[in-house]
Amino acid sequence: MDTLLTFATLAAAIRLAVPVAMAALGEVITEKAGVLNLGLEGTMLCGALAGYLATRSSGSPWLGLAAGLAVGAGCGALLAVLMVAVRANQIVTGLAFTLLASSATTYLYERSYTLGQSPPRIERLGMPPLVALVIAVLAAVWFLLNRTTAGLVITATGEAPEAADALGYRVARIRTAATVAGSALGGLAGAMLVCGPLGLFIQNVTAGRGWVALALVVFARWRPELCVLGALLFGVCDAAQLRLQGTAAAVPYEAFLALPYLVTLAALMLRARDSRTPQALAVPYVRGAR
Amino acid sequence: MTTLSVDRTVGRLVGAARLRQRLAVTVGVPALAVLAALSVGAALMAVEGVAAMSVYGEVLRGVFVLDHGLTDTAVAATPLLLIGLGLAVAYRAKVFTIGAEGQYLVGAVAATAWATAAGVRDWPGAPLVVTSLLVAVLAGGAWAAVTAGLNSRFGASVVITSLLLNYVATALLAWAVRVGIRDPGSFTPQSREIGAAALPVLPGLDVHLGFLLAVATVPLLGAVLARTRFGFRVDVMGANAEVLGANEARPARVTLAVLLVCGAFAGAAGYIQVAGVSGRLTPGFATGYGFTAIVVALLGRLRPVGVLVAALTLSALTIGFDVAERSYEIRSSTVGVIQALVVVFFVAGDALARRST
Repeated sequence: MDTLLTFATLAAAIRLAVPVAMAALGEVITEKAGVLNLGLEGTMLCGALAGYLATRSSGSPWLGLAAGLAVGAGCGALLAVLMVAVRANQIVTGLAFTLLASSATTYLYERSYTLGQSPPRIERLGMPPLVALVIAVLAAVWFLLNRTTAGLVITATGEAPEAADALGYRVARIRTAATVAGSALGGLAGAMLVCGPLGLFIQNVTAGRGWVALALVVFARWRPELCVLGALLFGVCDAAQLRLQGTAAAVPYEAFLALPYLVTLAALMLRARDSRTPQALAVPYVRGAR
Repeated sequence: MTTLSVDRTVGRLVGAARLRQRLAVTVGVPALAVLAALSVGAALMAVEGVAAMSVYGEVLRGVFVLDHGLTDTAVAATPLLLIGLGLAVAYRAKVFTIGAEGQYLVGAVAATAWATAAGVRDWPGAPLVVTSLLVAVLAGGAWAAVTAGLNSRFGASVVITSLLLNYVATALLAWAVRVGIRDPGSFTPQSREIGAAALPVLPGLDVHLGFLLAVATVPLLGAVLARTRFGFRVDVMGANAEVLGANEARPARVTLAVLLVCGAFAGAAGYIQVAGVSGRLTPGFATGYGFTAIVVALLGRLRPVGVLVAALTLSALTIGFDVAERSYEIRSSTVGVIQALVVVFFVAGDALARRST
């Protein structure tokens, strides 16, 4: 155990936490407006592939990040059409989208190189700029939600859409914007994963990090700063788990694999009825229906 | 007298028209979604210069003409059918659990642990199979009960808790095959063979007993949903939980019941997959059946017969494409895209159909 909390483990933890934190920050915006986006995992995958392909063709991982952001926003637009405009069930839509993204990214990636050749690695970004990016986005999201009128309007559409509507705010438009913005950050998160520490794309490269981010938002009670802290906790557990594999430790490494989820479950027990939960989360808004 | 009979005739005609319309939406939307997805699949193949029609012909040949096509389809459909049936019950009550994957894994781990335990593994086949199935059902149900408990006691979201428990179950599987129920004679992490707890292959059919069990459940569950108080409560809860709470039963009770059903079915599927196909547990046992079954339940319109059709259709696509891949230059991800497109078209088409009626 004493070898666990070394500088190297902490560095690994931050590396693992960064994309998760970014995705969770995006989802906070979306959920605050009352949209539960279970398509986050799929959006991250699309962003990851876009980041990989853009970096590979341009040579600049910064362009890769931009591509991830743009493709994420595109995914958000598609999801918003289905969830907000068509009012399809948000849970079903999100799941379906993730399923599609998972197979579609595999399909497109396999076609981006000739069979038999190994796909090229791409130029990578170091951790410092990525960490700085997370901190900047954290500050921006915190400021948006806590200090601006726009943040208040977003919160209102997630808490009491009929009240926001009565005040003259367009619920559908705000929810669409929040879904697009949140998904853009989700796509960026995927691109950060690939253009940062990894430097390559593989099938289902996100490995459930989108789902982790969704759980983190609940764990963090829809507060951006706690999302980032929670992501760090997840990263520490993940790094510990990786470090313990193959060693005959007293605590099995699988315990660390399960720990972040168990902690989130415990947090749910303590905080599920918290007033911070958007009251209209996952409830489609129909104008005039009460 | 005459006005009355005219009224009746008109009423009957309107009723018939409504029925036709409902039938068109029920069967038409999934059928159109499959057709649209196959068309997009054909377009994708055309872009790559593969003759889509011959590929689809080969898919059909792989399923219906070649040896093992139909039996492979039946075997592959078994876990999807069982898990899908359980999910259909929960979703009818609008309890959107996505925890079937975890319940499936826990059922498989518990049943394997039981069937390979010292003292038990020497039992004869029949009692071993029955008790193993029971253990799997109980374990899957217990896993689902955690979600129900957190929901009723603390108001925690079913979606999120069931999702989190999938990861805990995955960790449990990893630990079980590495340490907990590891075969001491094996170098790689895996459980012992389950031996006599394996399901017999039906003579002349080449399909394990689990498929027959799963298919037999379809009319049984259909009758339960259509004729019992439980089925009625599930549907009332799906329509309006407040009405249910005011007149019929506590929604928390119904939530617990449907989650237990879902967990029991998924747990049973876990054991049946070990006992009918893999013979033992390995770290790679988790293959996402719990998620694919969500698709199966939705495409099947949350009706037992529909779930059967959807499970067979999706697994036939997979089996048929496996065959087609060997003869044509297509990559395995094509079938994944087509299956996913089926779902997306279905979800969008369903929402649009609902809006226009």
